[in-house]
Amino acid sequence: MRSWLKMLKELTIRPKGERQIRKSPSYSFDEDLDKSLSGQTVKDILSKSSDVVFREFFLQGKERIPCMVVAVDGLVDKNLLDQFILKPLMVDLIGNPELAKVTLSNVVDITLQSLLPGLEIKKISKMGDAVEAILSGDSVIFFGNLTEAIVIGAKGWANRGVTEPITESIVKGPREGFSETLRTNTSLLRRKIKHPSLRIISLKLGDMTNTDLVVTYIEKIASPDIVAEVIKRLEKIKMDGMLGNGYIEEMIEDHPYSPFPQISFTERPDVLAGKLLEGKVGMICDGTPIVLVVPAVLTEFLNVNEDYYQRAMVAILSRFVRYLGALIAMLAPSIYIAVTTFHQEIIPTDLLMSISAGRQGVPFPALLEALTMTVTLEVLQEAGLRLPKPIGQTIGIVGALIIGESAVKAGLVSPLMVIIIGLTAVASYAIPTFDLGLAVRLIRFPIMILAGILGFFGVAVGLYLLLIHLLSLRSFGVPYLSPIAPLRIRALLQDTFVRAPWWALKRRPNLIDVEEPRSGGKGKG
Amino acid sequence: MERISQHQFMTLGAAVLMGTTFFPIASVVTGVGGRDGWMSVLPGFAVGIPYGLMVLSLVKRYPGKNLLQISETLFGKWIGKVIGVLYILITGYFGGLLLGQVGDIYQASAMPLTPISVFYLGGMLVVFCLVWSGIEVFARFSEVVFSVTVIALLLEVGLSIPRIEQGELFPILSEGFKPLFWGGIKVVPFAMEYILFLAGLAAFLPSSMSNQAMGQLKAGVWRAVLVVGILNTLVTLMQILVFGPTETIRLVYGLLVLGNIVEVSRTIAGVETLFLGVWLGALVIKVSAFYFTVLWGLETVFSLQGLKWNLAVGIVFLGIAFMFTRGHSLIQEIGFVDNYLIFPFAAVWILALWGVAIWKKRTST
Repeated sequence: MRSWLKMLKELTIRPKGERQIRKSPSYSFDEDLDKSLSGQTVKDILSKSSDVVFREFFLQGKERIPCMVVAVDGLVDKNLLDQFILKPLMVDLIGNPELAKVTLSNVVDITLQSLLPGLEIKKISKMGDAVEAILSGDSVIFFGNLTEAIVIGAKGWANRGVTEPITESIVKGPREGFSETLRTNTSLLRRKIKHPSLRIISLKLGDMTNTDLVVTYIEKIASPDIVAEVIKRLEKIKMDGMLGNGYIEEMIEDHPYSPFPQISFTERPDVLAGKLLEGKVGMICDGTPIVLVVPAVLTEFLNVNEDYYQRAMVAILSRFVRYLGALIAMLAPSIYIAVTTFHQEIIPTDLLMSISAGRQGVPFPALLEALTMTVTLEVLQEAGLRLPKPIGQTIGIVGALIIGESAVKAGLVSPLMVIIIGLTAVASYAIPTFDLGLAVRLIRFPIMILAGILGFFGVAVGLYLLLIHLLSLRSFGVPYLSPIAPLRIRALLQDTFVRAPWWALKRRPNLIDVEEPRSGGKGKG
Repeated sequence: MERISQHQFMTLGAAVLMGTTFFPIASVVTGVGGRDGWMSVLPGFAVGIPYGLMVLSLVKRYPGKNLLQISETLFGKWIGKVIGVLYILITGYFGGLLLGQVGDIYQASAMPLTPISVFYLGGMLVVFCLVWSGIEVFARFSEVVFSVTVIALLLEVGLSIPRIEQGELFPILSEGFKPLFWGGIKVVPFAMEYILFLAGLAAFLPSSMSNQAMGQLKAGVWRAVLVVGILNTLVTLMQILVFGPTETIRLVYGLLVLGNIVEVSRTIAGVETLFLGVWLGALVIKVSAFYFTVLWGLETVFSLQGLKWNLAVGIVFLGIAFMFTRGHSLIQEIGFVDNYLIFPFAAVWILALWGVAIWKKRTST
């Protein structure tokens, strides 16, 4: 019993200090990294991996110096390595007066200064740095038994390039999206914000994966407190593997047990740039096209980047439809249950007769009817999501048309119930963010049960509890329901339920402690 | 310690002052002031302004302290403790009665077959979660719910316009100004409920405040009283216009009846069921406010705090709610506590405290 309690405690109570999961044990590998740098030790460590290439040759200077280039096949640009590292050292430089001066004691410095071209080239003297550089795709040259080596940036691997993101498609706006390569992503961002105050801070996460991650923000616009908090939380993460944004998200968010997303994400450089200009902080992780952005507030998940490319009035209408869709997706089945079970008096008599006729012969109470249909909808959604597109569509048609129609014909559900569930499904697709859509799907069930037991009183109790939960959430210190509560009228009228025309958006939304105005006007509004 | 902003102080104050005063107010003032009763609503609430300003002047002099702590400082430890005990008993009893109103309203107007205990428990669950989340979340909750309540009230008043009976309002002032005075007196206890809440809330205001911030707080008191006074005047006026004075006096929950006869272009009828969700929010704010006052009192007077005491207060509230199951006896009891406990206690305590503070300041200078 005690062990069960202990296990439950471990699962539910997150340590307040270091965010730590599966910390890597003390491998002998780590001990090797403490040894002094030498080509032979590197070979000992990495030679069991078939993709690591060791190219040994001699450099003919004043002395004949044994050299070894180490790189990972597939991560390194072979052409670059051949043409600009091996060829100069082995062929082109023979007869060069600088090469003639080279001895084992000065080989590193002369190579760095005079022999090798290249922008990313540096001297290292630690074993850890050498191994990390090789495994990250750089090439390292070792000279004899020297305890110094040269790292040459020659990364080059296959990537899918800059394509349009699938999750954030847009009608009117830029088509480029982030990819899995960190440097491509930072360059896409740099192309959007060509200003020296754009900061890109590098970190490494994961003891084994050594995943590169950058924290990016605009100095003077982003709150220094939030930037410091982001870096502090990231540095506290101790885990052996960091394979994507989902890992980071759960480790740094304020309320991990809430169904609501507290960190926004994007695959688009223009969206990231826009958010950074609002004073937010981005986290770009190598190996994923998803960029995390903090702090995030609820309304942000219902607004899309297209709003800023459309005219203001069109954007306002789109937002209204989305907010309405979210409400319908969350409440439509509950309202149906409450009205048909407890509050028939609010329906006009003609409509009531029609509903009653439709429900005649249905053997289940409204709650069970709605729950069955909603669960079926969830199953269909889940089944269709991961299937190949043509099969997914078939599943949708089979589910919606055949099962729905057959259920009505068999008298298992009423036609109105099918309409309500169909409406709920369509409305849930109006929620632009997948994470928020999931939260709404999750919340729908308890509110339906409350409606089935207590009618509108149950719905009201459920909604008030939900409101209290949302009000108690914070994302990196910013209240989650901002600018609704605490009320920020300017932010509310400028870019929340409505989107003011660009010429009226003179100041940044004051959700966070923004230092500079958007254009003209006063800062810190 | 949690802190609330000046704006939150204003909306929280307005939400607590408003509470569910819009239910009994028409019946109460029309009972005394007749068809002119609606005119006494705003002046009655306005009594809250000088008292609110007194509380703020005490807060400025003793920053970071609630009025119970200030009482111990000015009146001495034991008198301060006695005041604290009275404060706990009165606010606790009243909070429990208001929780009873949740069940009463729902059972009377929407779900007569559902056991009343379900409503008590549902209401208590929301109140407990809100109180447990802290004063900051409570302030934000009231920002949202108060706005919705105001919209719902205006909507209900607006939708009732087609039901107005011509001639119910006239002649105006046929019995002179005297009924207005007595009507106003009946409204003052509502303002005093708000003052009792401010007495505890004072400790959550920023401890060092500039004159500008203090000015904003004072404006907050004015605004809260004016907004709530005007809204309640509208509600009272509309009930008199629709039902007439005699029926308005008879209907304890006149606004609910008004909601039931409202129809939206023959599509939705009896919208009161929908509005009840909003009224539940207003009730939750009021009950939570008194839940907080009891907790602040227990902490100040007996140094009792934590989950255990939070739960204990909840159980006491439920016990009181169950004692007065429903209907007229509950309304009578709420009226009794308002008129004979809250009104005299708050009126005398705050005035005396403020007077002594002024006197001590003068003698020390």
